[in-house]
Amino acid sequence: MIRINLEKQLHSSGGEMQLQVALQIKQGEFVTIYGESGAGKTSILRMLAGLLQPERGLVEVNGKKWLDTANGTNLKPQQRKLGYVFQDYALFPNMTVRENLLFALEKHQPKDSVNEVVELMELNDMQHRYPATLSGGQRQRVALGRALVQKPEFLLLDEPLSALDESMRARLQDYILKVHQTFNLTTILVSHDVSEILRMSERMFVLKEGKIVQVGAPDAIFSDDSISGKFRLVGTITKIQQNGVVYIISVLAGVNLIKVVATAEEAATMATGDKVMVVSKAFNPLIKKL
Amino acid sequence: MNSFTGEITAIEQEESLSLISLRVGETPFTTIVIDTPDTAPYLRVGNTVQVLFKESEVLIGKDINNNSISLQNKIACTIKAIEQGKLLSKLELESNIGPVVSIITTNAVEQLQLKVANVVMAMVKTNEIMLAE
Repeated sequence: MIRINLEKQLHSSGGEMQLQVALQIKQGEFVTIYGESGAGKTSILRMLAGLLQPERGLVEVNGKKWLDTANGTNLKPQQRKLGYVFQDYALFPNMTVRENLLFALEKHQPKDSVNEVVELMELNDMQHRYPATLSGGQRQRVALGRALVQKPEFLLLDEPLSALDESMRARLQDYILKVHQTFNLTTILVSHDVSEILRMSERMFVLKEGKIVQVGAPDAIFSDDSISGKFRLVGTITKIQQNGVVYIISVLAGVNLIKVVATAEEAATMATGDKVMVVSKAFNPLIKKL
Repeated sequence: MNSFTGEITAIEQEESLSLISLRVGETPFTTIVIDTPDTAPYLRVGNTVQVLFKESEVLIGKDINNNSISLQNKIACTIKAIEQGKLLSKLELESNIGPVVSIITTNAVEQLQLKVANVVMAMVKTNEIMLAE
């Protein structure tokens, strides 16, 4: 169990904001913090990592206090057993992939864990290459691997896939889910991407102006009960194509690519990358046993 | 999406299904939904709801006699514009309840010899209408 209570006055571009959150996350759980930019998502992760100090707070991970402002407990970032992956890979450009991984080890740690990560993340072929020669997806795999060599209990992912294209993102999601399970991690993901959240997380916290306004299963939060259609999917538009007097809109919902016919007026309000809800009546779909 | 504001006039229920009668202006509508006043509190006689249906679910008939067809949702319309594509055509219709859009095949437009200013009946099946709060 991870217990988090944090309070801090934040100065953002939108002005002053009081961040005040309380989260409880079960060991092994995969949760998402979702919210608009400036809501305080990254500040929460930085406070968990010990990179930013709250005015008042408690961080307790599996019974061990990392931070307790009431009695002055405050572990240094390197004493907190967590992995942290950002949107930009932050690899050392003058080191090979393997050297980057070794650098993350503490002095007394055996090198076995580097080999284990190389195996798991399938980095064998690129071990001796430099970051500049890798694609964005490969670099992010290395960054994820580097976060894992110290065998963290707790993984923080701050929009790690947002710079990648759709197909690379889906592959990296698979790697993240695999390491989450293999290492029995407790993972907090910060993401804007509805299909990513639906696919990866068991529970989500909706953050608005520094406060948690909603907690629940992602499919319950993203589906909309104010409409009577029972056949509902939430996804991201991948393509908008004109076809005679209608438009065909492709939507990636989880791992399924679906297509919806729309009018020109509807298509004009939409763009590739937009989050949408697709609704039909339960009377329309055919059902077939596989 | 065609969208109108209507008022619920009656609710008939059988287990999880409800047959909802509505009025949009003077035009009656019916829809069947997998919801009941218990599962969807907005289903109350007298409540105002959005009545939604897709353009491609709007059938078009000429010379329709009200008692000769099973469709429960019928809107008397005048054709305002026809945008003809190779396979599909879009009809912009005017009615007492406001504009209605229908997308039907170009073959059907030709078969019915539909022209601007024609009087037609726009029809929607009971199970194609969605409600929203």
